[in-house]
Amino acid sequence: MSDKTEPIGPATVVVVSGGSRGLGLAIVEDILAKGAKVAAFARTVTPELEAVAAANPERVHAASVDVTDVKAINAFLKEAESRLGPIDALVNNAAMGQDSLHVHTSPEQIAKIVETNLTAPLLLARAVLRRIMAKGNRGRIVMVTSVCAQRGYSGLVAYSATKGGLDSAMRTLAREMHGRVLVNSVAPGFFASEMSSVLGQTQLDTITRRTPSNRLVEPDNIVPVVSMLLFDDTNINGQVLTVDGGNSI
Amino acid sequence: MSALSRDAIRTMMAEVLQAQGKMMPEDDAANLETIGFRSLDFSELALRVEDEIGDELNFDAPELRQIATISDVLDFLEQLQAA
Repeated sequence: MSDKTEPIGPATVVVVSGGSRGLGLAIVEDILAKGAKVAAFARTVTPELEAVAAANPERVHAASVDVTDVKAINAFLKEAESRLGPIDALVNNAAMGQDSLHVHTSPEQIAKIVETNLTAPLLLARAVLRRIMAKGNRGRIVMVTSVCAQRGYSGLVAYSATKGGLDSAMRTLAREMHGRVLVNSVAPGFFASEMSSVLGQTQLDTITRRTPSNRLVEPDNIVPVVSMLLFDDTNINGQVLTVDGGNSI
Repeated sequence: MSALSRDAIRTMMAEVLQAQGKMMPEDDAANLETIGFRSLDFSELALRVEDEIGDELNFDAPELRQIATISDVLDFLEQLQAA
């Protein structure tokens, strides 16, 4: 085991959930650009992720896995390690959106949001941490959460609860890992994605107007922050880094 | 319990408006913004309908954003009951 007082090194093999499109895919591409390896999964592997995997056969392991399927997740991690080497980092990115008032969201839908956005990321973090610790290694975890965990937005009750829960878990994990694993959250504001596509133009215009930087957040704004938490020696641990153009201040 | 008729839903909508001191116009083409029927009022109406029919009417917000007139409200609640 390495000396605990030494900085944790840059990530070498990173698991990315929901890595087949949008922000997840951008994170996968950035990790590769930094020279690390990626184990990416999503419910559906897109042609874009397939192309990335085909272009980097020695450095990418991609598969179609449902984030809520614990058995499949464990098999994926094992296979990824056999191909790429020991996993030492995780970007917990997969999530499902919501756009319905709480009183009109079915109990089944609430349960699905909690399972996908909170239970599944916790189990994935657990699985990755068990692999890191069993090998006596150290590592890094980044939770992609949301500004919704800090501010109230109509139509996002269950979604916000899961993101707030993940932020809380992140802080506790950072404490629990005693510096052996750096655990942080990146909380994007609303950005153009499939999840925000359900918002009407009026809502998007309102969000933009209330943002001091006067523009919605782009995936390109989030990627460097995730990258810093995966690769740089910042000593940031147990923190939520909000990237929202100042909308929440 | 069976689905509520369009007329019954219209009466309930009038009651929601009346409770706020607002009047339900005769014309179903009337704009909701003009008569002061907000999204939360729709929510209240949907919950009243649920109480009557004994079943939940769940829906996403984007569907709600399409609603602009009294007629749209009645159409949407009829559709939800039929779903």
